[in-house]
Amino acid sequence: MKYSIKTTRRAFLQSAAALSATAAWPALKPAFAKENTAVNLQLSWLHSVQFGGSYIAKDKGYWKDLGLDVTLTQGGPNAPVEPPVVSGQAIMGISAADYAASAVAEGAPFKIIAVAMQKNPFAIASLTDNPVNTPADLVGKRIGMAVANTPVLKALCTLNNVDINEIEIVPTQYDPAPLVSGQVDCLLSWSTDLPVAMTMQGVDNTTMLLADYGYAVHSQTYIATTDTLANRRDQLVALLKGEIMGWNDYQDDTGAAAKLTVEMFPDAGLDLPTQELQASRQEELMFSELTKEYGFGWFTDETVAENIETLGLLGIDVSADLWDRSVLDEALS
Amino acid sequence: MRSALWVLGILVFWEALALIKAQSVLFTGPSAIAAYIYSNASLLTRAGVATIHNAAWGFFWGTLSAVLLASIAMLLPRIERALSSLSLLVFCLPLVASGPILRVLFGPGEGPQITLAAMAVSYTTYLALLVGLRAIPQAWGDLLAIYGRGAWMMLLRIRAPASLPYLFVGLQIAAPAAILGAMIGEFTGAERGLGVLTLRAMRGLDVDATYALAILAATIALLAYGVIGWIARRTMGYAPVILLTPPKDNKPRLLWRQLLGLAALTLCVLLIWQVSMDAFGLNRFFAKRPVDVLAYFSQPDARATLFAAFLETLSMTVPGYLAGLLLGAGLAAVLMLVPAWSRGVMPVAVALRAVPIITTAPLIVLALGRGTTGTITIVAVMIFFPTLIACLQGLRQTPGQIVDVFNSYGAGRMRLLLTAQIPSMLPAFFASARMAVPAALLAVTTTEWLATGKGIGMLMALTASTSNYNMLWSCVALLSVAAVAAYALIAGIERLVLRVYATEQVR
Repeated sequence: MKYSIKTTRRAFLQSAAALSATAAWPALKPAFAKENTAVNLQLSWLHSVQFGGSYIAKDKGYWKDLGLDVTLTQGGPNAPVEPPVVSGQAIMGISAADYAASAVAEGAPFKIIAVAMQKNPFAIASLTDNPVNTPADLVGKRIGMAVANTPVLKALCTLNNVDINEIEIVPTQYDPAPLVSGQVDCLLSWSTDLPVAMTMQGVDNTTMLLADYGYAVHSQTYIATTDTLANRRDQLVALLKGEIMGWNDYQDDTGAAAKLTVEMFPDAGLDLPTQELQASRQEELMFSELTKEYGFGWFTDETVAENIETLGLLGIDVSADLWDRSVLDEALS
Repeated sequence: MRSALWVLGILVFWEALALIKAQSVLFTGPSAIAAYIYSNASLLTRAGVATIHNAAWGFFWGTLSAVLLASIAMLLPRIERALSSLSLLVFCLPLVASGPILRVLFGPGEGPQITLAAMAVSYTTYLALLVGLRAIPQAWGDLLAIYGRGAWMMLLRIRAPASLPYLFVGLQIAAPAAILGAMIGEFTGAERGLGVLTLRAMRGLDVDATYALAILAATIALLAYGVIGWIARRTMGYAPVILLTPPKDNKPRLLWRQLLGLAALTLCVLLIWQVSMDAFGLNRFFAKRPVDVLAYFSQPDARATLFAAFLETLSMTVPGYLAGLLLGAGLAAVLMLVPAWSRGVMPVAVALRAVPIITTAPLIVLALGRGTTGTITIVAVMIFFPTLIACLQGLRQTPGQIVDVFNSYGAGRMRLLLTAQIPSMLPAFFASARMAVPAALLAVTTTEWLATGKGIGMLMALTASTSNYNMLWSCVALLSVAAVAAYALIAGIERLVLRVYATEQVR
């Protein structure tokens, strides 16, 4: 009995030593590299070409040349962006104007420092033989959406003088199955994911962008805390510079961005045709006359004012203080 | 041979059904699933290895902590109640609350997946182990006492061997739970694994992939279950014996002492809550402290929303819980009467539990609708399996000598079941009934979160977009109180029953 305890202890000590040796390994690695500052950029969802510009920036070494060693941490259904950014674990996060405004109302010291998606990606997806082309077409239809998104539909209806009571809301989760199986006539979803999935599966569908009917909410916005803005400004500027270069490359060749995404994340289960379609659909949301003139990520007092108005319809009270363009100005200059 | 034919028959029927429904993008047959697995073999292998790796570490840490906790509970019986309540609370912690915190604590990597797998494992194993450690004949304890040995020797020499059959049952229940825990842990932003792929397959309307992943996860869980069963059969030389324990004097605890115990426990929990969050320096924005929750709770609007959602959740939890419990115990009894059936039933039961809830929930909801039926079914399925396993093992704990007596008098199987086997099963049954309380709540809230979008699960999921962490932590507090209350109610009934049938279990 005694002996067996002894051997166990020895085995334990051995494995503990082995463990600590493994733990020490990463510390040895960067000794030969130039000392770059390590920062985390918190993405808002699972890896996909949605963040193609960031992958290009990393792959082509744009950040490395600017003195940053950037880790792109992916999001997920149980990985909200705000906690790691608030706690400083991520220097910057990718959020949206409505999420950021809500977080600020709950006490998070966030600023929106750049806007990747000029147009909000929310869309009404329907089957082509029973299409929703304008908000007026919604009357008498069954729409599948998360109950939590009811304010979004309400805002769209108010903006376009449609009576929301004429629309039947069927609570569904974020899943194209109810539309395909005929449980609903249309779905509230992003134009870049569920409709793309349906197209790839051979289901003919039509999408109507909410942004084309007055729904102005900045999406895929870059957020950082006021503390970071004050104390780690250089890093933020460098980070945004890399993003801008990456996304400009993306615009030049969305196909290459899709290809890079699939190659960079072999374990994510991505397929190239889907990523290519998503990449081209996303392009029209991110690049506009405004970005053509001033550069990627741009926003103006007017677009901010439109956002404040739409957010008001969503029941979110917010002031123009939420937006801060100073870092972007520096990065683009 | 016959079972192989059965499997073949089912596959042919399934394939035919898929051919008939070929138009539907929501249904698929075995050949399409096999084709998917074949053409994505390397991707699936890498994902499987990642998930198994995390599940295995979670299983290891979870089991280790269960063994430590149960040993402490045996050595220091005074703190057993507090220990059990605390582990119940940790087990109850909703993933929506713990996920982001674990991610902030661990950063990128495997930490959250392993921790969530360990949490899914430790509680059920702990409870099963406690029952086993107590299942000893009084005489053995007396003998050791005569030799002047203390609680330590008692634990090592008598309790530990006696608990082995229960430990293995706990481990068998834990194996599928570890896989599920690791997969849900991947939702916190893991780079690879079966959970990540499942998520993408469901969103991408890739039905072949969804089914393939469900089958893969189920197969892994089945293998783990089988291997543990095999080890148990190889190592266990312990036959059940008659546990003659004299009845204790049944003085109920005084009311004021009970209240004092409750107050002490509450204080202890609040203190741990506050101190652990402070110690890790968790930001108050998402890691709310007891004071924040109390302040939020005092708002009438917030309270109304919270209780309405809670009632909706409860209306699905209770029927599902009872149905699962009855189904599990009932089936265990039937299998005792007709042992031949168990060859057919057991694999199906294990497979049902092993198919992870995250893939089954949307499918069941699609089949049974978004109403209450679907959710109740999911809860029943989640609970039914541990109950069945625990009850079967409990029924087998009937001492051989008693069975011999029944046989020599020519008593029928029914008589044996009712008068000998079911009473021996009771400790295991009640242990599984207690285990099932948090499992039921977890099943309901996960389904609400991922599939139906109702009740308290939805309320918690909303936090991701609204950052209303006050609401999230209020939900956590309310769920915890409900779980402890339900647990106490069942433990009360258990004490009344076991006082008659299994005195050694009553403290």
